[in-house]
Amino acid sequence: MTRALSFLRGLVHLWPVVLVFVAWDAWVVLNGYTSTVAPRPFPVVTDVVIGFGEYLPYISYTLGVALVGLLGGTLVGFAAAVVVWSSAALAGVVTPAALIIRSVPITALIPIIARIVGYGDPAVLTSTVLICFFPAFVFTLSGLAAIPASGHDLFRVLGGNKLQVLARLGVLYAVPNLMVSVRITAPTAVLAAMLAEFLMGAHGLGALFSESRSYMDMERAWGVALVATTVSVFVFLGARALENRVVARVT
Amino acid sequence: MSTSTIRTAQAEVDRPAARPGAAVTIRGAEKVFSLGRGRTLQALAEVDLEIAEGEFVAIIGPSGCGKSTVLRLAAGLDTPTNGAIEVFGDDPHRLAKQHRLGVAFQEHALLPWASVRANIALPFQVAGRRVDKARVDELIQLVGLVGFEDARPKQLSGGMRQRASIARALALSPDLLLLDEPFGALDAVTRRRMNAELARIWGEEKITTILVTHDVDEALILADRVVVMTGRPGRIRKIAKVDFPRPRGFETTRSPEFHDLVDELTALLDQVEGVDD
Ligand SMILES: Nc1ncnc2c1ncn2[C@@H]1O[C@H](COP(=O)(O)OP(=O)(O)OP(=O)(O)O)[C@@H](O)[C@H]1O
Ligand SMILES: [Mg+2]
Repeated sequence: MTRALSFLRGLVHLWPVVLVFVAWDAWVVLNGYTSTVAPRPFPVVTDVVIGFGEYLPYISYTLGVALVGLLGGTLVGFAAAVVVWSSAALAGVVTPAALIIRSVPITALIPIIARIVGYGDPAVLTSTVLICFFPAFVFTLSGLAAIPASGHDLFRVLGGNKLQVLARLGVLYAVPNLMVSVRITAPTAVLAAMLAEFLMGAHGLGALFSESRSYMDMERAWGVALVATTVSVFVFLGARALENRVVARVT
Repeated sequence: MSTSTIRTAQAEVDRPAARPGAAVTIRGAEKVFSLGRGRTLQALAEVDLEIAEGEFVAIIGPSGCGKSTVLRLAAGLDTPTNGAIEVFGDDPHRLAKQHRLGVAFQEHALLPWASVRANIALPFQVAGRRVDKARVDELIQLVGLVGFEDARPKQLSGGMRQRASIARALALSPDLLLLDEPFGALDAVTRRRMNAELARIWGEEKITTILVTHDVDEALILADRVVVMTGRPGRIRKIAKVDFPRPRGFETTRSPEFHDLVDELTALLDQVEGVDD
């Protein structure tokens, strides 16, 4: 009984979702749009539910690219931050490069990336990695900079070297920051993967979106948007749950 | 050799040379901190102190008089602005590099993600030695943390953290032990028990020890000599020799001689604090 009650209470928290659907429907109806301009929610949801099997390979592809890209970008960003932290000379090389990557909009980068690594899957993955790289870099660097003076003192009196400070102290001080970076970049990774797929991919939700649009299958196109949003939200929730667990472990 | 030694070669002429067997020799040490924008703060002025091998020295003095600064110099964490400091006839940081130094910091500095056991085992790992599990267990028992081996620092009380930090400092049986108010967060009973344990360890291993404390009784129970410091800039006001026989149990602490010395040093501290404010 109480279970059912708390379940209902949980549902109440979903009111913003309901609001979005109501507003969406009202917007279409009040403007008198036809379904080729903007479909109403019901047929879109129906398409997703009935055609879910058709969505599934696209979802898993995009999700896979986003997760691999997130992992890859985070690792590369982490490694770059460690390099910058350990050597002033290398910092002079890595930091400007990181800033340039950051300043160029990803949409402008994607064609260049495609030229370098090859059109299609490699470019999609590389774009996702690049999007996730910079936050991981910055957050790791600030984590390493936040090693308390007492930690440095401890390793000095224990006779530890710089590598030990990094491995036994720095990495673990950087981990909470790194998890923040994962949480904030996770939905962006999905977005970046979709954008790259949309521009040049043959797979994934982005490709499905551009495909259905060119066939004027607006229910499917909007269905992709709906599914992508849901995937993003779940990726974010997953990243947050991971962050909470990891942070509780290291602090 | 550190540059500070060279710079003060002049000053060393009229100072006694380090006796053989001296563990720590501080000669004319000054410490000036730069506070930025050209402002400076003189934490120590001309501190002279020689500590013999196997000796236990306690430093007492008002807050901010430079006690931790003296320990940091001895640990090689800071260098004196002027004057020289030698530990076992060498630059202080050499001792740390050889993993022969044990320090319990004023704010414990335990690793937050590591259990008590892992924190105490850390010196072995940093030194690249195999962790001596029996030794770690013995230390856990010694500082009364049995049952908390797997707890992490945030699950411990302040006093328990301090005790874990002392155990870590002792892990490698160091040649020099530096303790910065290690019992500050303990209740009186636990504090006396820890004092007794420390006295016992010191009696067994004769580790050269510098203990910073606010507790005059504690200083007199443990130390061969008590150094009283005055503040801003920090100097040594008095060095009192403590001759009570060991172990210093209740007979000692209840004796009138003990009380006289407590009174004398407390009065000195009161004076010092009075001048300071
Ligand atoms: N890194 C630093 N930079 C600037 N000033 C410092 C620094 N470290 C210590 N000081 C100053 O030096 C003086 C002595 O500090 P120290 O920590 O040695 O005092 P203390 O005797 O240990 O005090 P307490 O009993 O409160 O621990 C203080 O006035 C402090 O403000
Ligand atoms: Mg202090």
